[in-house]
Amino acid sequence: MADQLYLENIDEFVTDQNKIVTYKWLSYTLGVHVNQAKQMLYDYVERKRKENSGAQLHVTYLVSGSLIQNGHSCHKVAVVREDKLEAVKSKLAVTASIHVYSIQKAMLKDSGPLFNTDYDILKSNLQNCSKFSAIHCAAAVPRASVESSSSEKFEQSNLQVSSETPANNELTTNGHSPPTSKQIFQQPKGIMGMFASKAASKTQDANKETKTETKEVTNVSSTGNKAPGKGNVMSNFFGKAAMNKLKVNLDSEQAVKEEKIVEQPPVSVTEPKLAAPTGLKKSSKKAEPVKMQQKEKKRGKRVELSDDETKETENMKKKRRRIKLPESDSSEDEVIPDSPGDYEAESPSPPPPSPPPEPVPKTEPEPPSVKSSSGEKRKRKRVLKSKTFVDEEGCIVTEKVYESESCTDSEEELKMKNSSIHRPSTMTVKKEPKEERKGPKKGTAALGKANRQVSITGFFQRK
Amino acid sequence: MFSEQAAQRAHTLLSPPSTNNATFARVPVSSYTNSSQPFRLGERSFSRQYAHIYATRLLQMRPFLVSRAKQRWGGGVQVKKLCELQPGEKCCVVGTLFKAMPLQPSILREISEEHNLLPQPPRSKYIHPDDELVLEDELQRIRLEGDVDASRLVTGTVLAVLGSARDSGKFVVEDHCFAELAPQKPAPPLDTDRFVLLVSGLGLGGGGGESLLGTQLLVDVVTGQLGDEGEQCSAAHVSRVILAGNLLSHNTQSRDSINKAKYLTKKTQAASVEAVRMLDEILLQLSASVPVDVMPGEFDPTNYTLPQQPLHPCMFPLATAYSTLQLVTNPYQATIDGVRFLGTSGQNVSDIFRYSSMEDHLEILEWTLRVRHISPTAPDTLGCYPFYKTDPFIFLECPHVYFCGNTPEFGSKIFRGPEDQRVLLVAVPDFSTTQTACLVNLRSLACQPISFSGFGAEDEDLGGLGLGP
Repeated sequence: MADQLYLENIDEFVTDQNKIVTYKWLSYTLGVHVNQAKQMLYDYVERKRKENSGAQLHVTYLVSGSLIQNGHSCHKVAVVREDKLEAVKSKLAVTASIHVYSIQKAMLKDSGPLFNTDYDILKSNLQNCSKFSAIHCAAAVPRASVESSSSEKFEQSNLQVSSETPANNELTTNGHSPPTSKQIFQQPKGIMGMFASKAASKTQDANKETKTETKEVTNVSSTGNKAPGKGNVMSNFFGKAAMNKLKVNLDSEQAVKEEKIVEQPPVSVTEPKLAAPTGLKKSSKKAEPVKMQQKEKKRGKRVELSDDETKETENMKKKRRRIKLPESDSSEDEVIPDSPGDYEAESPSPPPPSPPPEPVPKTEPEPPSVKSSSGEKRKRKRVLKSKTFVDEEGCIVTEKVYESESCTDSEEELKMKNSSIHRPSTMTVKKEPKEERKGPKKGTAALGKANRQVSITGFFQRK
Repeated sequence: MFSEQAAQRAHTLLSPPSTNNATFARVPVSSYTNSSQPFRLGERSFSRQYAHIYATRLLQMRPFLVSRAKQRWGGGVQVKKLCELQPGEKCCVVGTLFKAMPLQPSILREISEEHNLLPQPPRSKYIHPDDELVLEDELQRIRLEGDVDASRLVTGTVLAVLGSARDSGKFVVEDHCFAELAPQKPAPPLDTDRFVLLVSGLGLGGGGGESLLGTQLLVDVVTGQLGDEGEQCSAAHVSRVILAGNLLSHNTQSRDSINKAKYLTKKTQAASVEAVRMLDEILLQLSASVPVDVMPGEFDPTNYTLPQQPLHPCMFPLATAYSTLQLVTNPYQATIDGVRFLGTSGQNVSDIFRYSSMEDHLEILEWTLRVRHISPTAPDTLGCYPFYKTDPFIFLECPHVYFCGNTPEFGSKIFRGPEDQRVLLVAVPDFSTTQTACLVNLRSLACQPISFSGFGAEDEDLGGLGLGP
């Protein structure tokens, strides 16, 4: 019989698994109203005691009522052991409610374990904590994500940035750096695994990304409870690699200010993008993965959280990239490895040394601006060089020009340097404003690289 | 009361399960206005001196005191300024009180090398029989003697004294009076019972696990998970929860990491981080079910000076998703269903406790109401923002419910004013030690304490439940 199922369930929990079954725990586990859970527990106790009078069952009750104390009537709510139940009941002037609080096999010395049980089950059900409760509040509606202001998100993202950056100083290719998991908001354990593997994946699929983008847009509008669920479904469908992009795009769709750049198609890494304030992009990149992490958890705060998540993946996937290519967007990261723009997304650091050199030759035919930007982001130094060339009158002209020099010791650097030198002088004019912008980025790129020895020949850098 | 109403429904839970379980709708908010605007600070500049706040306080309070003086001592009494005093002439003077206390901690004396003093250990009270009272007005000050009890009064109180000046340069007081209660608008009558739950001193992050179960029980009662149908129905009539400060425990404020070497503290996190996370979860549970107002307190991560600004929403990413969560200032003033609430997290009352002989926090609360100032000791011994235009701590209107948080024990009293004002004074106890909260019935303006308890190994005689003989 269906209604006997719960009896078996409770029996299993209490006797076989030796759990402490509180009414709240049962309510969440079986998905029933709290009052029904309390009645179920009572029914179980009664039946078990009737069948087997030697049953090793310890029951705690909740008693509440009023009591005259110090001249005023005090309402008392107490969790008591079964043996004290009658005594407490007799002391109360008016008994408002008595019900079973929990059943367990072993005698409890104090109420600590009861709290722990309730706390654990609550943690895994934070989003629908009042689903089975007896009171529903019409006013308590989670805020829609679009209502939250972008400045608020930015503020939070900034806070996340500051907490993220120290955490991500060391390269992590296989998971979160520990401090990130200590975010104020927690993650359900099921999602942690997904995040852990996200960092390692580098394969991108632009087609899938665009598809999921549209899908995610529709998902965005759905109310809180559904989104993570759908996210999970999506993840199962697409696999972990695409989850990164999924989240990245989801967040990029939602974010207002920072993600404007992200929404542009990945391939068009053009000057206008580069012209955008680098600082903003930097922070946006930083913001995304961190927010991404919490996205799965908090439906209501999906925007900020999702932004953090993207940032989290960003950081994990290409922490080095962030420093090197601050203006490349998250969407760029999803670009197919062999696409031109993806050069920027690839990291030149030791762990994957081979892929970076390969895309480099491909990027050479790219518009110089792209090349210059990508080349320049990689450990750039602004060096005052004198350039000698023949001008229109046939005179040999020597010009002192600030040129960005990559100082990595890998091949592409040579190529990049060669290409940069071969660049016609007319490009210098255009380059100047870009280089000005690249200045701060270069500084940080150099700083980031300088702390890390890329290879044994890192000491002997070409100036 | 809550209990009686809760007991009216039949007990249904000690029975086999039934499929139709009642769900109650939370009473909708019929009217709510937050009138804490005077306590919100915009751009803050600390370059001003504190003399201005005293000047504006006296300026604002003077008319109230003059009218009270005339009521009390007859219309013919002469109200004079100190500069106009003639020796031997009986008159009334209005001014701010200053109490010179030798035991008052003075940082200048502490660091002064010529005295060579060791830092004074903190005491619970700094009063001394040798304390002297001085009355100051806009221009002058004069020592007070006579029928005025220095031990009960504190610095910053504005009052009117009746007496005469002596040749010795002191003023002999025959009688004194305070500004008494401000005018009060009557509250509109309510047709159903509505409750507001006042809690303070949750003390999260304190390390002691006993109060955690109590906190969880509190949340469960309010959200309707605990209790029988009757109790859940009554809990659905709780229209608002006000958390009056000290959500974090005093222990989260420890700054040991500053004294330790960097290599020892590299991976440690401030205790408040974990505590705020727990608080966020609790607030999420509450705000999913009931409108909540969160006031900061002495140990909460916000500014130290009064008025404390609301906690930042970024700390509560889970809970701020709900619009029912409201982060408010300390002191907090609002009109809930037509009933005016005004309260603080208790710093004002505990500061007066330290500098006067009054023992009962409820008594001090009543005294501040009669003096018509929320915290007269600010800015002298209690940190305060240097206001200069107005003093926002003066009662312009008398509230219906006046509470202060973090008192050592529960207290509640109805106080009647001279113009038929009726105020419910509530001293909300510290939850982490007493496991008690307060339920205010808005219809009858009565307050019932509600306490929670678990059981422990030592509770053999129900002592822990407070039900012992």
